[in-house]
Amino acid sequence: MNKESIQLHVNGVRHEIEIPPSKTLLEALREDLRLTGTKCGCDDSSCGCCTVLVDGVPMLSCVMLAASYPDASITTIEGVAQGEQLDPLQEGFCVEGGAQCGFCTPGIILTAKALLDRNPKPTREEIAQAISGNLCRCTGYTQIYASIEYAIKKLRTTPVAAASGGR
Amino acid sequence: MSMPSFALVRPRAVDEALEHLARHGAEAMLVAGGTDVVPNLRAGLFSPRVVVDLKGLGDLSGITFDRERGLEIGALATLTAVAESQLVRQHYPVLAQAAGTVASPVLRNMGTLGGNLCLETRCRWYNQSYFWRQSCGFCLKKDGTVCHVAPGGKRCWAVWSGDTAGALLALDAEIEIAGPAGRRRLSLTDFYKNDGVDRIHLGRGEILTRILVPATMAGYRGTYHKLRIRNSIDYPLAGVALVVKVEDGVCRDARLGLVAVNPAPVLVREVESLLVGQRFTPELTEAVVQAVVRTGKPLTTSMSTPEYRREMLRVFSRRALRELWRENGSH
Repeated sequence: MNKESIQLHVNGVRHEIEIPPSKTLLEALREDLRLTGTKCGCDDSSCGCCTVLVDGVPMLSCVMLAASYPDASITTIEGVAQGEQLDPLQEGFCVEGGAQCGFCTPGIILTAKALLDRNPKPTREEIAQAISGNLCRCTGYTQIYASIEYAIKKLRTTPVAAASGGR
Repeated sequence: MSMPSFALVRPRAVDEALEHLARHGAEAMLVAGGTDVVPNLRAGLFSPRVVVDLKGLGDLSGITFDRERGLEIGALATLTAVAESQLVRQHYPVLAQAAGTVASPVLRNMGTLGGNLCLETRCRWYNQSYFWRQSCGFCLKKDGTVCHVAPGGKRCWAVWSGDTAGALLALDAEIEIAGPAGRRRLSLTDFYKNDGVDRIHLGRGEILTRILVPATMAGYRGTYHKLRIRNSIDYPLAGVALVVKVEDGVCRDARLGLVAVNPAPVLVREVESLLVGQRFTPELTEAVVQAVVRTGKPLTTSMSTPEYRREMLRVFSRRALRELWRENGSH
């Protein structure tokens, strides 16, 4: 298969990789950049596990051709924490038990992050709407809502965390 | 499932994209948001040599409204952008509503309005992996000679499964198509062929560039109702879009579009003649319902039964009429 040199800008780092143009962003992230936090669930755009942020907007990396996005700034779950300092959303999932098997968690955290960047005080209904494309088969969603609401509260009470949330 | 091997080109202007199409002919395939094309490529439904990625055509994503010229939407505007546009919500609410119910929020961030009008038709015998299709016997639409939905016939019944086309048919929309001979305009009703295989009047060398909705349709009340298995993600299995203009309790105009039941989205033309000049009554509602189920012909193309989908057409038509009727305070 023909390979081409392709640029990807992921979590603030520029990469140049040799891949076939038919490779999806999900495959490039996992196989070429070894960023395996982004999960492959259905591989058919039905489950949301592979959600990444593209210029801050949640998109499904399983239906994106990596070669289509050389100019975009991509954020994966590996780029959410500030070094050892967890993002308030990650902290919320730890404290409130938002992750059980954990497979949907990276996609939900990124989707929620984009929501909070746009709307720092969403209602539970708005949260449910925003993550409605992210399937979780373990939690029944209650703890996920609680985890996101933990982050909302933390971002409201600690302005420092709020500032780092807008990356 | 694995991807076919192809080259990807990323033109920056419509003319450049047209040149790629002219050069590669039947071996080229267009991709915009990718939410329909990429899964289909992976299922082996297409094997292009060149994929022309339209995302770089930045001037095709605008949404503008003018009191005289109406609404213009670039074909690359995302479904999220259409659903959230204040202009669309204010003047053509049924379109914002239909765009806002496509698939899931994250898919609407990727999928485009132009792409939604050019979707591949869907069928349970078609939207499967190569292995599945080979095991069950290929179908008329791809690699085979028999339609498993209607084995006696010689036509394909794969279903038009886009949401926005129903709303845009109801709104009397036009589209602009760019091709080797320049740009042409076409009524959206003339874009669809009602053939599951050869679904739209878009030539190999052409690109849908803009969607235009007349100013005369601005301010019509409208609503869209749809059926699907999982309400947050799936393709529609039946959809009814209705727009009406009512003055002092009298219907001055009404148009109803159906999606996800036939191989094309369809305008139920009888609705206009049934309702215009009338005051709404339950009997009229039932006459509209009858016209709808005479036009919408669901078959066994999905995991839901045709009977259920047809019944939901009745339910949605009644609900839509009642909703717009009550809102208008005519009763």
